[in-house]
Amino acid sequence: MFRSYLQETLTPYTFTIREVSLIGNSIWKRNLSLYVMFAPVIVFFIAFKYMPMAGSIMAFKHYNFGDGIWHSPWVGLDNFRVLFSTPATIQIIRNTLLLSLLSIFIGFPFPILLAIMLNEVKAMWFKRLVQTLIFLPHFFSWIIVAGIIVTVFSQQSGVVNELWKSLFGHSFAFLYHEGSWLAIFVSSGIWKEAGFSAIVYLAALGSIDSSLYEAAGLDGANKWKQIWHVTLPGISSTVVLMFILSMGRVMEVGFDQVFMLQNSTVSNISEVISTYIYKIGLMGSQFSLTAAIGLFESIVSLILVIITNRIARKFGSGLW
Amino acid sequence: MQLSAGEKIMVSVFYAILVVAGLLCLFPLIHIVSLSISDTHAVASGWVTVFPIGFSLHSYQQLFEGTPILRSLWNSVQITAVGVVLSMIFTILAAYPLTRTYFYGRKLYTFAIIFTLLFGGGLIPTFLTIKSFGLLNTYGALWLPGLISTFNLLVLRSFMENIPTELDDAARIDGCGDWLYLAKIVLPLSMPVLTTLALFYGVGYWNSFFNVLMYMNDTTKYNLSVLVQQMIQSQTMLAQMNSSDSADQILLTPEEINSAAIMVMVLPIMIVYPFLQKHFVKGVMIGAVKG
Repeated sequence: MFRSYLQETLTPYTFTIREVSLIGNSIWKRNLSLYVMFAPVIVFFIAFKYMPMAGSIMAFKHYNFGDGIWHSPWVGLDNFRVLFSTPATIQIIRNTLLLSLLSIFIGFPFPILLAIMLNEVKAMWFKRLVQTLIFLPHFFSWIIVAGIIVTVFSQQSGVVNELWKSLFGHSFAFLYHEGSWLAIFVSSGIWKEAGFSAIVYLAALGSIDSSLYEAAGLDGANKWKQIWHVTLPGISSTVVLMFILSMGRVMEVGFDQVFMLQNSTVSNISEVISTYIYKIGLMGSQFSLTAAIGLFESIVSLILVIITNRIARKFGSGLW
Repeated sequence: MQLSAGEKIMVSVFYAILVVAGLLCLFPLIHIVSLSISDTHAVASGWVTVFPIGFSLHSYQQLFEGTPILRSLWNSVQITAVGVVLSMIFTILAAYPLTRTYFYGRKLYTFAIIFTLLFGGGLIPTFLTIKSFGLLNTYGALWLPGLISTFNLLVLRSFMENIPTELDDAARIDGCGDWLYLAKIVLPLSMPVLTTLALFYGVGYWNSFFNVLMYMNDTTKYNLSVLVQQMIQSQTMLAQMNSSDSADQILLTPEEINSAAIMVMVLPIMIVYPFLQKHFVKGVMIGAVKG
């Protein structure tokens, strides 16, 4: 590596052997200061990323506090056998897939559409104002968003129910029916993140060569055709990339959102892997069993990312 | 360029949709503000929509007197301030070496770091690891595992990679070492992206909920998020608060107090947001295009 670096950087020049060895020395010295910077970073990644990763082997063990992760006895695939023979966990995996797939597929077009529309806006003040507003919800936590939802949909005096009452004459428990709960869950996710996710597409749109639009205009393409033939192809690789990344999240439903919105009435569809791990694993001390479901989640996510990336690479826009 | 009638209609439809989208983001917030400062009677009867009806700050008074919100506010400030400083320092220390072509093992480290985005240790092993370090019930359990966000690190790295190498060469000739070069040239040039990352870390720590819930056993260490969550989920707490009040005081609706509590969480974000917005749009775009 060192040699190739020298060749790359120094070929335009000629050096005496003494000079080259001097540069070699200074590269050592420079690496020393880089390693002083980087050492804590290495420690961090080992301690907080790779040690938990290695700790995942507890999924194949019977964890007990006395022996810790490393010395607890092995049980092979027992934890997984229990998981996949319990109807409750099957349902939780199904719920996780249902909620995340609905969120991904329904939510996916929104940021793209917002970005394309914003791109057509010529009045800068308007564009900036809209951006300011639609980026804002991203910075609110789910506690805030769920707090707003619970307040707005409250049956006693929530504003939505007041409207509903004046229209239909009775109140409706939106958060306590599976259908409306699901609708609120998915749309709250879109409300919170669609605007901010548009940033990526806005960036991609900004890098499209403007002469392409001029050429299309000269060829008689109207705005609609320009969007179809210039804008969309210009961001297609970003779209594919974002899709791959979202595939990696199919197995995870963010804890905060579900945890804040769920209630026992809709637990048939609202109990997901992350809330299950919290309740059964952390609160109920079923560490090995929930570590197993966590490992299952991680592995499936990794496989999904690899597969989507393979497919994307066939279209020439893979992540790696 | 002259727009045809059809194009004009299309563009105006775009404008209209964007106005609706912007208002959709704004209205819930205005509604909450109005609920928190409206008259109790108006809130209880569900009349308050956009504008406040009447005016009373009873909800805030009761929030600050009847709940430990001041303590959790202070906890949130502590968690955020220390967390942002630590995270920024270590993200910079991680990103800079990864941009140096002569850094031994650069490719290996980059791969190892990106891999953590694709495959994670899972909740339970992470929890037990942090427990084994003795970090439970200390804010160290929030600061240390969150020291470097891999995503932020990659954004900063791609920004630093774009700094022209001529500057580096010139600095070398002047005998400038890596620390000095980082401090004098790279960091000042990276200001827009650094502001963005500080905002992201700040919002992340301010909003942190699950980690606090998971790692803090001591309720006096709870931050705003957890306190507000418990207020929202246990209306009994409010019922108790109300019943313990003297009889002449008006009973407040849960909506009012929740709204006031939400406002306490939202306000700091709203105050910082306008100053940082122009930076993060720039910063994220750079990260997005290159990353």
